[in-house]
Amino acid sequence: MRVIVAGVGYRNLRDHSVGVAVTDRLEREAWPAGVVVEDLSYNPIAVVQRLEDEPSDQRFERAVIVAAAERTARPAGTVVAYRWDGALPGDKEIHRAVTEAVTGVIAVDNTLVVTRHFGALPEEVVVVEVEPAVHEFGDTFSDIVARGFETVCGLVRSCATDSKAVNRLPRAPLGGPVLAAARET
Amino acid sequence: MCFKNLPIEFDAQGKPFLRAGVANPYAPTTAAPRGAPVQLTADKVEELLRRNGYIKELDFDPVTRVAGALAFHTVADFNSRKVVEARSVATLFRGYEVIMVGRDPRDAIYITSRACGVCGGVHSTTSAMAIEMAIGCVPPPLGVLVRNLALALEFLYDHPLHLHLLAGPDYSSAMVGPTNPSLLARARSTDAPHAEIHGFRTVGELMDDLNPLSGKLYLEALHMTRVAREAYVLICGKYPHPQTIVPGGMSSTITLSVMNEMFTRLAQFFDYSKKLTAIWDDLTEFFYAANPAYKQVGSRRAHLIDTGIFDHPDAYDATYANAAAWGERRWATPGVIVDGELVTTDLQRLNIGVEEFVDHSYYEEWSGNGQRQRFPSDPAGNPLSPYHPWNKVTKPRPQGQNWKEKYTWDTTPRWDRQSMEAGAYARLWNTAVARKLPPNPFIESTGTSLNLRLPKGALPEMEIEWKVPEVWNAFERNRGRAYCTAFTALVALNNWVAAMDRLKLGDTRTSTPFEIPKRGEQRGVGFWGAGRGYLTHHLVLDRGAVANYQILTPSTWNASPSDRWRQPGPYEEAVLNTPLLEETDDPKQFKGIDILRAIRSFDPCMPCTTHIHSDAGVITREVNTCACGVDDDGG
Repeated sequence: MRVIVAGVGYRNLRDHSVGVAVTDRLEREAWPAGVVVEDLSYNPIAVVQRLEDEPSDQRFERAVIVAAAERTARPAGTVVAYRWDGALPGDKEIHRAVTEAVTGVIAVDNTLVVTRHFGALPEEVVVVEVEPAVHEFGDTFSDIVARGFETVCGLVRSCATDSKAVNRLPRAPLGGPVLAAARET
Repeated sequence: MCFKNLPIEFDAQGKPFLRAGVANPYAPTTAAPRGAPVQLTADKVEELLRRNGYIKELDFDPVTRVAGALAFHTVADFNSRKVVEARSVATLFRGYEVIMVGRDPRDAIYITSRACGVCGGVHSTTSAMAIEMAIGCVPPPLGVLVRNLALALEFLYDHPLHLHLLAGPDYSSAMVGPTNPSLLARARSTDAPHAEIHGFRTVGELMDDLNPLSGKLYLEALHMTRVAREAYVLICGKYPHPQTIVPGGMSSTITLSVMNEMFTRLAQFFDYSKKLTAIWDDLTEFFYAANPAYKQVGSRRAHLIDTGIFDHPDAYDATYANAAAWGERRWATPGVIVDGELVTTDLQRLNIGVEEFVDHSYYEEWSGNGQRQRFPSDPAGNPLSPYHPWNKVTKPRPQGQNWKEKYTWDTTPRWDRQSMEAGAYARLWNTAVARKLPPNPFIESTGTSLNLRLPKGALPEMEIEWKVPEVWNAFERNRGRAYCTAFTALVALNNWVAAMDRLKLGDTRTSTPFEIPKRGEQRGVGFWGAGRGYLTHHLVLDRGAVANYQILTPSTWNASPSDRWRQPGPYEEAVLNTPLLEETDDPKQFKGIDILRAIRSFDPCMPCTTHIHSDAGVITREVNTCACGVDDDGG
């Protein structure tokens, strides 16, 4: 199975760099054939084009995307993994996401929305989100995110290689099941 | 006479001096701009709003489809269908000037690149040039040529992106249909004059393919950004923040193979330019014919400023003393245009006329109160204003928004106290009128136009002509940007040929070694350009560290607020002159499309990737100042 494991985020932005830090760590490891680890922290339109460059008979079948994501309704340090249901916002929001993409904004929601809209993502997308505690310059994590870093790496590893583990994850819209529930209430 | 407002005159040798007998030559009362339009006072606008139900506030917050954080406040008269007040609001602080102080100047190349997520390379280059001037370092010929190529490729990313992703949807059927249904109906039955070039039989079909997300032109523009980006990374290594731009040239290795691979991408822009210019000619002429009032949308005085760009390797010596000479040998001629007339092409004169004010901006004054003006003159001995960037000190002071006082994070740059506009089209205009182009087979400057000879591709070889427009408005800005794509591709072609000639001679050197002096004080300025036009970085070094760093971007000029003389900034002036041509009498249904066309025609680029450190953390994304605006559907 072809799987892409990708971090999304800015470097040197403490907890907000966790996605990049995870891929920096994992790309040094040995992986089964078919698993690719990459930093996709760039213009999501370019990410679309990178994914489309895969030969048609070797397109990725699963993407595991890891990033810091600041959501309401969950404490700092929370790690959430879910199978994204692929639900897209309306065209107006997608167009806004494309505008942000081509003008240089890097954010996990944008990357997912833009790559899904243009059909570049595989059907199965696992999102691993980490709720950041701090939002400032620096190359170290907050204590709470630092404590959970190895757990995140382990979770991403299993999502990349263990289909049964992936199947046990909840299916949810962007932000994960708790956020979706919070939105409904 | 170059200056009409500042008391600067010239001796018989052309050396500027301050007019004798003027006690305080840069005082606001000494040199107020003459004949400029003025905004109504905030009190007068409040009175109009109170007394007339048909006068209403319309806020666009944020203005969508622009890079970064821009809001726009207007007050419109729905009886006369005119805008009576326009206020441009940059909602984020750009703190690079503060971040740079005390650092090694080489850091500036990488830090200031982050001012923009589209045109990082132009900031890096401008920064490298400011350092080159300060330390006396000249790139080798191939370094200059490759730098020209890199920046041309960056513009070839930028212009299609703006034309068909950001501005284009304003002219799409998805937007024209709801706002002006009769116009769309007319478009559907109007043959497109250049159908054989762009392939759209009617203007209506063309509008359909400008639709966001689904239109062929929208999707094609996304693809062309890839082509330009691929060509760029072949010579710069990385986009949008290259690590290969250094003082003294480029650190990349350039070979015949790299150049050939790059050319296969560049060549795609010859045909694409033919299409772009045909499309924007047809759209522009259609709107003018349908309703001549469209000529007023986004109109303002033709006051334009541009530093020029793309150096000649035999001319550029990185000195301020010779800036006029090497500037005038650029592929895009520097210049200042006032009321449609070119008044100078001399980079020194351009530089000494620049001042930056903060009367309506969230900053403190740095001048006055007995503070000494650090530099009374430039390195050539020409007079400088206390408000000149070399004298400016960035002193941010966040506070509440108030139209009477301070309302934006943008400052108010003025040239000879006049509100100047920056843009790709200023590049065309100066170059067309000045007739200083290097001899070459592809571009000809006629004095009133530019003839552009585009090589054969899938489409035949074609000569197109950009003419200095009779009116200056939103449509001409977009048309100019389309022609500037062709111009840029041909500048790149000329530089590609010259670079290949150097390589064939075995000249592969792209950079000159340098050292940062650890003693004394040095000044430098990078005169360059972004896709959106004018760009300068003014640098002061003190004992090897940055003592002052000031960036003036095109959007600093264009988005500037009204000044101390109530003279509106370019966005503001363009919106004040814009008639409201939407086919609705109900303000609640009003989308403000003509106002948005006016604003977007400037290709606004508010620095969107700004990272500001404060005690509370870092701001990385845009914030909206309120949620009470007109919803323009973004689409």
